[in-house]
Amino acid sequence: MTFEADVISGLAALRRYARALTGDPAWADDLVQDTAERALVRAGGFRAGTNLRAWLFTILRNLYIDQYRARREIACDDETAPWRTMEAPGREIDGLVLRDVQRALYHLPLEQREVLLLVCVEELSYQEAAHVLEVPVGTIMSRLSRAREHMRMLLGDEPAHQKPSPLKVVRRTP
Amino acid sequence: MNDAPHDSPGTSPLDAAMLGAYVDGELRETERAQVAARLAHDEQARACVGAWRAQKAALQALCGPADHEPSAFIVLRPRHTWPRRFALAACWLLTAAGVGWFSASLTAHVAPTAPPSAFARRADIAYAVYTPEARHPVEVAATDEAHMIAWLSKRLDRHLFAPSLEEYGYTLVGGRLLPGDEASPAAQFMYQNQAGTRLTLYITRASADEATVRVLRAGDRRTLYWVAQRTAYALSGTIPEPKLRAIAVDVCSELGGEPQRWR
Repeated sequence: MTFEADVISGLAALRRYARALTGDPAWADDLVQDTAERALVRAGGFRAGTNLRAWLFTILRNLYIDQYRARREIACDDETAPWRTMEAPGREIDGLVLRDVQRALYHLPLEQREVLLLVCVEELSYQEAAHVLEVPVGTIMSRLSRAREHMRMLLGDEPAHQKPSPLKVVRRTP
Repeated sequence: MNDAPHDSPGTSPLDAAMLGAYVDGELRETERAQVAARLAHDEQARACVGAWRAQKAALQALCGPADHEPSAFIVLRPRHTWPRRFALAACWLLTAAGVGWFSASLTAHVAPTAPPSAFARRADIAYAVYTPEARHPVEVAATDEAHMIAWLSKRLDRHLFAPSLEEYGYTLVGGRLLPGDEASPAAQFMYQNQAGTRLTLYITRASADEATVRVLRAGDRRTLYWVAQRTAYALSGTIPEPKLRAIAVDVCSELGGEPQRWR
C-alpha cells in the first residue's frame, strides 16, 4: 500500500483516540484532520519500517498538547466536563458502569489519561507508547500504574488507605 | 470489588508495574507464568489484576471499535504558507468514510485496461470528499456561473464551460478550484438531481490526447475519464455505469471530444 493509503487506514483509530482524549467530537475531528494533513506534508519524516500508527499518534498528541495549552485547562467541574456533552453509555462491563468509567477517565490528569488510552484502547505496546509520549518505558509503566490506581479510586474500588481526593468519587458500583 | 484486608499497601511482593505488564501482555512467557503462580497466593494482587482488567475492558467498550462511524470524511486542504512541493503533497483530498469502505476502494482501483491515472484518482477522491457536503458542496454557486467559468478558465488556462445535463435531470450546483498536480490545478463542476444524487465533472490540463475512455471503480463510485483537446475530463458518480457512460458520451461530445472513437 502507498503511504497515503496507510495514513488513511490509520484515521479511524486516530479518531477514536482523539475522541477519547478530548471528550469532544468536534475537536477530535479537527485534530484528526490536522494530523492527517501534517502526516502527508511530513511524509519524509516517517522512517520506513517503523510503526506508522505510533507515528500518527505522536503527531496527534503533539497537536493536542499545543491546542490544549491554547485552550487552557479543561475545567473539570461537573458543569463543563466532557461527559456532559457526550453520549452517556449505560452499559456495564465487568461490574463497571461505563458512565462512571467515562467520568473517571476525564478526572484523570492528561498524562495518565493518554497512557491509559494508548495501552488499553489502542493496544500499543509499552515500547510504542513510550515512543508516542516521548518518555522511557519505565515511565510508561509507572504512569500506567498510577492511572489505574487513580481510576480504581475514582470508581470507588480502592482501599481506604488512599488519601482523600479533591475529586468527587463517582458512584460505587453495587 | 473485594473485601480483602489492605493493611500493608505498597508492600505487595508483586509490584504494580509487574502486575500492569501482566495485564497488558507485556511479559515474557516465563515471567508471566511466575506472576500467575504468585498471584495464586496474593489476594490483594489478584484483586488489583481483576480491577485493572475490568478497567481495560470497560475502556475498550467505552471507546468502541475504531470504525464505528462510517459517515466521517476528512478534507485535507493546502495551506498557502507551505512551500509549494509540500502544498502539492498536502493537496491530496482524502476521505475516510469508514476505513473498510475506503481501503476496499483502494484495492478496487485495478482498472480493466490499464492502471488508472493519478488524475482519475484525484477526481474520484474529490468526488468522495465534496459530494457529501450538505452546506458547502461548491466554492462558487451556479447562480454566479459566468463568473465561475471565467475564473476557472483563467486558472486552468483553458476555455471551460459546464455542459448542461438537464436532459438527464441534473442541474449545475456550482464549481470549485482544486489542487491538481505540478502541471495544472483542477476544476470540479458539481451537478445534482432532484433526488439529491450528485455527479462531478473534474477537469485539468493534459499534455496529450487519448482516443479512449477509461473507468476507475472505487467502492460504489465510478469515474469515467478521457482526454480531448489537451484537457483531461473525469465524470464521477454513484449511478450505474451504463448510465454514467451515456452521460459521459454527451459530455465528451459537447466539450469537443470524439466519443464515437471510444472503444
